[in-house]
Amino acid sequence: MIFRMIRQFVSMIVAVMLLAAVVPYASAQQAPDAVPDVESAVVAEQRPAIDAVKKQISNYDQQKLKADTDATLADLRLNLEGTSKKLLDIGVSFRPRITEINARLDQLGPPPPQGQPPEAQIVTDERIRLTTEKAEINAVLGETEDLLIQVNRMIDAIGEARRELFTNTLSQRVDINYSLGSEIVTAYGQELQTMNRLVSSWWRFVVTFKWQSMLAATFFAGIAALVLLIGGRRTIGHLYFRDPGIEAPSYLSRLAVAFWSTLMRSLTVIVFLATTYLFLGYFNVMRPDIASLIYMLFCVIGIVFFVHALAQAVICPGAPNWRLVRVAPRPGRILMVLITATATITGLDYIADTINQIAASALSLTVAKSLFATVLVGLLIIAMAFLKPLEDAESGATKPWPRAMRIFLFTIGLVPIIAAFFGYIGLARFVSQQIIINGAVLVTMYLGFLTARAVSDENALAGTKLGQAIQKRFGLDETTMDQLGLVASIVINVFVVILGIPVILLLWGFQWSEMSAWFLTIATGFQIGSFNISLIAIATGVLLFALFYFFTRWFQGWLDTRVMARGKLDSGVRNSIRTAVGYLGLGVAAVIGVSAAGINLSSLALVAGGLSLGIGFGMQAIVSNFVSGLILLAERPFKVGDWIETGGVGGIVKKISVRATEVETFQRQSLIIPNSSFINGSVGNWTHRNKLGRVDIAIGVSHKVDPRRVHDLLMEIARSHPLVLKNPEPFVAFSAILDSTMQFEVRVHLADLSNSGSVQNDVRFAIIDRFSEEGIEIPYPQRDVNLHLEDADSIVELLTKRVRDELAADGKKFKQ
Amino acid sequence: MKKFVIAVAASAISIGSAYAASVKNNDTNAQTLVVTEGSTKTQLQVGAGETVEFCSGGCFVTFPNGDREALTGGETVEMTGGKISIK
Repeated sequence: MIFRMIRQFVSMIVAVMLLAAVVPYASAQQAPDAVPDVESAVVAEQRPAIDAVKKQISNYDQQKLKADTDATLADLRLNLEGTSKKLLDIGVSFRPRITEINARLDQLGPPPPQGQPPEAQIVTDERIRLTTEKAEINAVLGETEDLLIQVNRMIDAIGEARRELFTNTLSQRVDINYSLGSEIVTAYGQELQTMNRLVSSWWRFVVTFKWQSMLAATFFAGIAALVLLIGGRRTIGHLYFRDPGIEAPSYLSRLAVAFWSTLMRSLTVIVFLATTYLFLGYFNVMRPDIASLIYMLFCVIGIVFFVHALAQAVICPGAPNWRLVRVAPRPGRILMVLITATATITGLDYIADTINQIAASALSLTVAKSLFATVLVGLLIIAMAFLKPLEDAESGATKPWPRAMRIFLFTIGLVPIIAAFFGYIGLARFVSQQIIINGAVLVTMYLGFLTARAVSDENALAGTKLGQAIQKRFGLDETTMDQLGLVASIVINVFVVILGIPVILLLWGFQWSEMSAWFLTIATGFQIGSFNISLIAIATGVLLFALFYFFTRWFQGWLDTRVMARGKLDSGVRNSIRTAVGYLGLGVAAVIGVSAAGINLSSLALVAGGLSLGIGFGMQAIVSNFVSGLILLAERPFKVGDWIETGGVGGIVKKISVRATEVETFQRQSLIIPNSSFINGSVGNWTHRNKLGRVDIAIGVSHKVDPRRVHDLLMEIARSHPLVLKNPEPFVAFSAILDSTMQFEVRVHLADLSNSGSVQNDVRFAIIDRFSEEGIEIPYPQRDVNLHLEDADSIVELLTKRVRDELAADGKKFKQ
Repeated sequence: MKKFVIAVAASAISIGSAYAASVKNNDTNAQTLVVTEGSTKTQLQVGAGETVEFCSGGCFVTFPNGDREALTGGETVEMTGGKISIK
């Protein structure tokens, strides 16, 4: 029974499945009949581009087989990278159409299943047409994809080939022996002959047919250079004039002079060479072989001149107070010559290479030339190592390079020499070229770092013209300029590193794509444990925080000055709202920043949960103050500017923060009072709702005066003061009758209690003045003394006797 | 000082932009994409509800429904109910 049911069930499923399989098949079967063979417009549009790329790829393939130098391979690689980009662009260009087709197919919906009423023929037709077009586009995309794979494989293969070529060059060894020498001599003779023939035939051609053009080219180039030289000196000459009168120019002005002098001097030469070359080309004076020779010659002259100008600007042996590095003048001059010589020899090496290529000389000659050049460069570097160029800051005596630097120079000077003498000419040449180029980059970077250090010096930025312009434009003060200088120095440092390191890596044979990939990994995120660190995310977080924080500040200011000030809000409420908005904004900015930096807040919550007990005990006081601060802001028992008294001290409230409140006493002492003490203790506020207050002035008068008269006088004085309120009216209290005085108290109300001091003074002055006019006495304390004596008569007798004696004595004196 | 900081911030924001493409699978089952990047084809598994970053320098992708697309990096692809949408 059960088996039968299962069998029925299975057969049912099979039937359904068959049906499902047949339906699409059937509709697919219909397709070729119903739809005409249309080619998609996009495909037709892109087809020529794809075909062109295909052709280009096969072209590159052949070039790759022929390529034998590193430069050609590198060029080819660049081209291929361009092609791969083009292929991607072609692929992307199909996207709008695909999206369109998909959207339309969605609108049409799936074909109605079997058994349902059939749809209109036009719908079926459109669906089939769209599906066909999509299939066509997919096929073309597939083709493009295959091409891309092919191109990328070629790029990989080129990388492999370049590595191999490089290893071969470095590991190739030439036997240096007697036969090589004779070979070189013969080859050298041959090359001389060939070059002689080439150059002289060209020269004859120039002299016979093109001498006018040649002259014109040189003339025009000369004029261009002269214009630049004289015009430059006239217009911006002051920028690179080394004034010998200035005792100690600042580093930045020295740097500016060095920059402009190098730029202008080398620009003149470069303009002259470039215009000459352009005009020679324009007048068709050059043949291809001569053109490449002249090009190389001009390049080398330009570079050597630049190096010379730069070295001179940096070392500056003629004007020691304008130099950029502490190199003594005499060794500096030698160092400059050595540097220029190194550049010249390397340049000559390149020219010789070109000549070898033009004359198709024997390999032995190339070997000999490289040997010669590398050994010379090595010797020059060793010569530099022997110099004592540095100047002692105090004594002015010259001293050698630091030990590490000297050893380093010796090593890099010796390596190419030793390699060359062992026959590894390729290696030697590679090393010496790397030394020179990397050395140039490193020296430039070092100058950059020096600049950064100079900019960060105190008042360095404010001393420059640019700094002064900025200061004037934005109205900044000295401190801000100083901080700006620090920021600029950090920016320069980062800039130097970001520019310098990729250049050095490029020189070492790394590819841009590799470097950008590294940079991307560092920037977009790498894992440490389970934590993902992404520099971009962190930077975004910091930036967002800063932005939001500034926005809050702005909003706070706007709300305070624009909205609440106009709404005539009480200053206490304004201050509370201001503070609350500030803290809220800070909190929100922090949360936004932290989440943008990719730090998961829930993991922080876990830590916070664990620590909350400990933190709760540890930070009890702070939390209590914090909460008290919030209560103070909400309840506002006092506001900024109030005169309060708490815990025996009184003063004016200056600032209410969340943790503590700043109160300034009348002796101008700032008291930072924790907020909890305001909440837990009692606070006296003289100016809570209003500034109205009473001042009592006590005065005592003599018993001899009529108290009613005194009362009237005092009332009159109190009423006559302009700051005393009429209502509540002043009151004079006859407060006590004491031994020597009758005590009065003048009680006056003031609208603003902050005037109490001056009012009290005025009233007291008036009282004294008035009392003296009226003859009212302010008595000293008085005492009536009663003497009780037992034998009064004898005392009287004694006294009488003594007086009599004295009178008698006086009479005697008088007679004498 | 404030103006300066704002200027720096604005320029830094303009530099920082997305590089890689990302694909999000909104379906309940895992999907497999074929990605051609460089000289190799690789299969990329995207689990249900997962978002995966891929294709930093441009690539071709074949989606589970057979559709092919070229991406330049920086796109956001969403797969919902077997349909692809690229932004």
